[in-house]
Order: sequence, then C-alpha cells, then structure tokens
Amino acid sequence: MQNSTKIITQHWNDINPLKIEDYLNVGGYKALHRFVKKMSPRQAIEEIKKSGLCGRGGAGYPTGQKLEMVGVSGATEKYFICNLDESEPGTYKDRMLVDYDPHLLIEGVIIVALSVGAYKAYIYINGNYKKQKDILEIALAQAREKNFWGAGILGSEYDLEIEIFSGAGAYICGEETALINSIEGNRGEPKLRPPYPTDAGLFGKPTAVNNAETIANIPWIISQGGEKYAKIGAACSPGTKLYILGGTVKNPGVVEAPTGITIRELIYDFGGGLPEGKDFWFAQIGGASGKLVVENELDIPLTFSRDCPIPLGSGAVLVVDKSVDIHDLILSWTGFFRRESCGKCVPCREGTFRLDEIAGRLKDGKISDRDKQAVYDILWTLNNTTFCPLGKFAATAFSDAISKLKILGD
Amino acid sequence: MLITLEKILLEYDPEAKNLLPALEKISAVFGYVSRENARKVADYFSLPESKVYETASFYDLVNIKKQPNLIIKVCSGTHCAVSDSRKIVEEIENKLHIKAGDENNPRVKLEIISCLGRCGEGPVAVINDKVYERVTAGGVGEILEEWI
Repeated sequence: MQNSTKIITQHWNDINPLKIEDYLNVGGYKALHRFVKKMSPRQAIEEIKKSGLCGRGGAGYPTGQKLEMVGVSGATEKYFICNLDESEPGTYKDRMLVDYDPHLLIEGVIIVALSVGAYKAYIYINGNYKKQKDILEIALAQAREKNFWGAGILGSEYDLEIEIFSGAGAYICGEETALINSIEGNRGEPKLRPPYPTDAGLFGKPTAVNNAETIANIPWIISQGGEKYAKIGAACSPGTKLYILGGTVKNPGVVEAPTGITIRELIYDFGGGLPEGKDFWFAQIGGASGKLVVENELDIPLTFSRDCPIPLGSGAVLVVDKSVDIHDLILSWTGFFRRESCGKCVPCREGTFRLDEIAGRLKDGKISDRDKQAVYDILWTLNNTTFCPLGKFAATAFSDAISKLKILGD
Repeated sequence: MLITLEKILLEYDPEAKNLLPALEKISAVFGYVSRENARKVADYFSLPESKVYETASFYDLVNIKKQPNLIIKVCSGTHCAVSDSRKIVEEIENKLHIKAGDENNPRVKLEIISCLGRCGEGPVAVINDKVYERVTAGGVGEILEEWI
C-alpha cells in the first residue's frame, strides 16, 4: 500500500521547492526536453489521450480530448490556463502541490501549452494563496533563466509567455467560463455554453483550461508513456489522485493513491482510522458540494466515471463522528453556497438563500411544516434548473442529509 | 513614500486583463475602492464607471465600502465547521457585542468566510491580515486582546 506508485508526490519533502537545481537533480524538466527534441505537439496529445488522464478538478473530463480540440484549431491565437483557483471547502491539494514541488507544475504547464499551440499561458491562482503565488513567481523566474519558457525554448522555435493571474476570492471562478470572465475584467459569472472555451474561450480565442493537479501528471506521462499510466488505478479513470483526509481521523493530510481505492481504505489504511472513543457517523466526499457516505457504502471504489455512485470530486474526504453537531455542518454548506452563488440566475440566487434560512431555523428548532415542504421544492429547483452546476452542488449534501441522516425525521 | 492611485495604475497597462488585478491592489492599499478612485480607474482603462463598479462589487477581495479598522474573519468551511468554528463566532459576538455580517458598525466587522485552504490547521480566523490557526472558543479572549 505505502509503496504504491507516486507520481505527483514522489519528491515531496526531499527537494527544496525554491531550488530548481533540486528538481533538475531528480530528473526534472527531462520531459520537457523529450517533448521539445523528440515529439510533435500531436504526438504529445496522443500520448495524453492514451493515458486516459481525466480532469482532477472534479468533473473528470478526458484531458487528451480537451487538449486535442484546442490543438487542432487553426486559430493563430490560443490560450492555455492552469486552474489553481482551488476553493472547494476542505480542499488544499493544489496549494500543497505548489508548496512542495512548484517546478513539476510549471513543467506540466509548459508542455501542455506548447502542445495545444498556445503562445500564452496563465496560471490562475486563488487570491488567498499569497505565499504560493510568491513561490510560483520565484520558480517561474528560475525556469525562465534556464530557457524552459520565454523565446526559443531550449533552442527550438517554441515561444511561450507565462503569467500568474491572481483571483479575487470567488468560488464560482473555479468554473472555467467564470474564470475566463474574471481574467477579461468582468464579474465572475459563468457564460452560456456552447460555445465551449475550446472553441471560443479567453478573449474569444480557443482556450484549454485544466486543473493544476491534472497538469502535474503530464511530465510523468510524457517521460514514461501514456500506456504505462493507463495501467495505474481504475480502468475507467486511470492514474493516481491526491486525496485530502480531514475531520475525525488520526492522520489528516494530503495523500496520493490510485483511483479506484475505496473510502474505507482511505479512512482506515491511510488516515489511520478514527481516534479512540470516536464513532464513525458518515463521510463527505468532494468538499461542500460532495455526497454523504454512510457505513454500508464505505466499500465503494472512488472513480471519476459517471457510473460511480459517489463522485470523487475534488478528492476531499471529511470524516464526521457522532459527537459532531450536524447543524453546524449544514449551516456551513448552506452559508457557503449562499455567499458564493454569483446571482446570475434566480433559482440559485434565491434557492441558496432560502435553503440557508431554513437551515438556520432547523438549528434553532423552529422549523415549520411549511419549511419541510418547501425544502423539497427548493432542492428540486436547485438540482434541475440552475444555469451552472453550482446550484446542483448546493443541493447535493442537503438532499443526502435528508435521505441518509434523516435530519427532517423519517 | 506615499502611494498614490496614479502610481498604482501606472504598474498596469490599460488592458481588460489588468482591471481586476488593479482593483485588487487598490483595495488592498487603500482598504476599498472609493467612488473617486473608481472614476479614475474608469478613465485610465477607458471604461464606463458602471463597468468598473460592476466588476469591483463582485469579488470578496475587492471592497467598495470604507472598511472598519478591525476586520475579523472566521472560516466556516466544512473542516472548520466540524471543529466548532461556530462557537468561535458566538464567542466573538458575545465578547465584542457585535453580530456577524453587520456591515454598519464603523469600528469592527465580523465576517463568516468561505474556505481559505488551510483545512489542516483549522479552525482558522483572520484578524486584519494576521492568520490564527487551531483557534478555540476559550482562546478567543486572548487573541482579541492583541487588537483591542
């Protein structure tokens, strides 16, 4: 178990993140060399497609396909954006990625940007990650000095500019069209799709937006080959994943493990189980927008497949024991979505607001029969009629708390 | 050396992609984007003033109202919530006789905020820009004494 394949975390703790030499000594930027000297952009995308890598931000869209759509476009101006606007509650894997191995991410960004034919790449970082922004700036300067990006990369004809864009504290900007809106100087509201960003994204140009963790897998895939990657973890969505263990576990923190692992393995083998005297109640998988899992569902393997009953989401695993006041957690969900709803569409703006009010009355013991009826209407509306997935997210955990934890009674 | 709005604006080319970063910087330096400054930003970027406000009013890290001297934020993310962050909010409310979310107190503001990505170290509170980790309701008094 502990010696299973490590891709992203393999050098955490044994390199100094602020020294590019350390990263070079463990074979860093070899994938970039290989890409520049021996591969065409099309071959690189083919390799990524073969790997079966899919988006680690939560949606699990096949990365190779997305990159290909931008790659084949004949537009002269294209963009690549690395999404580091991590703001799902309980999730800090991308922050750790920058803290421990920033060059791995940068190498991935360079390779992906060049393979889709972009001359400009943005790293869109969460505005609260000030220290991580500083780390990335230092690392980017070191990489530029070595001619890993800039003009004529490693003596080739590839040119690439990389810029860090700091978000301004809005959860919705993790959604790619809202993220694009915020770089364009607009409110961070999602845009109607189609057109998809791969056709008309940033400033109307074809744009690939990928999560930071997804990108960090790319150097390994380019060096070791897509076929080898496809053999790791679950066949439907291969590779490893960063899981964030928290709540009532002995060893909280970020761990790397293959996809297809069960929730029980994560909590007990990696997390060390619950501390003495605490009884397991349920777990929430994937942050505030994630589903709840009770004891008899712990053996479900986690994958990104649409058939997986428990979506893996951001990879956050929150363990809740029976001593926790469930109302605190419910208010955490409803307050979060009420604050973060962008206000563009009525079902979400009003629905998240009313749900939070009802959660407040539930905590105060003042919930009425009318509230209990209204809750089902609100949850249905959020689940089925909102403009973007945020509305659905707002309904997920609350619905599970009603059906699995019986918060409104039987 | 006095930082003026003009000096800040000169750090940015007047392109769409620089509007939000410029507003963030102005808000961080002056505490908020005043009406007068919004007008100057609009001129600099050749945008209508309404457009500048439209963008500025959306983001948590850009304020459009003058802020009190003391801003207390308590994280209510899932991890902090299950480790009693609500009790911390209640304790601060009681000690300072304020209500979370009250925008009208000119002296102090208590905000419940979304996850800061420090879940391993929660519950997390931020006073002005200083971050406090593993805060307990019992420890609130000591922390507040640093500021009052």
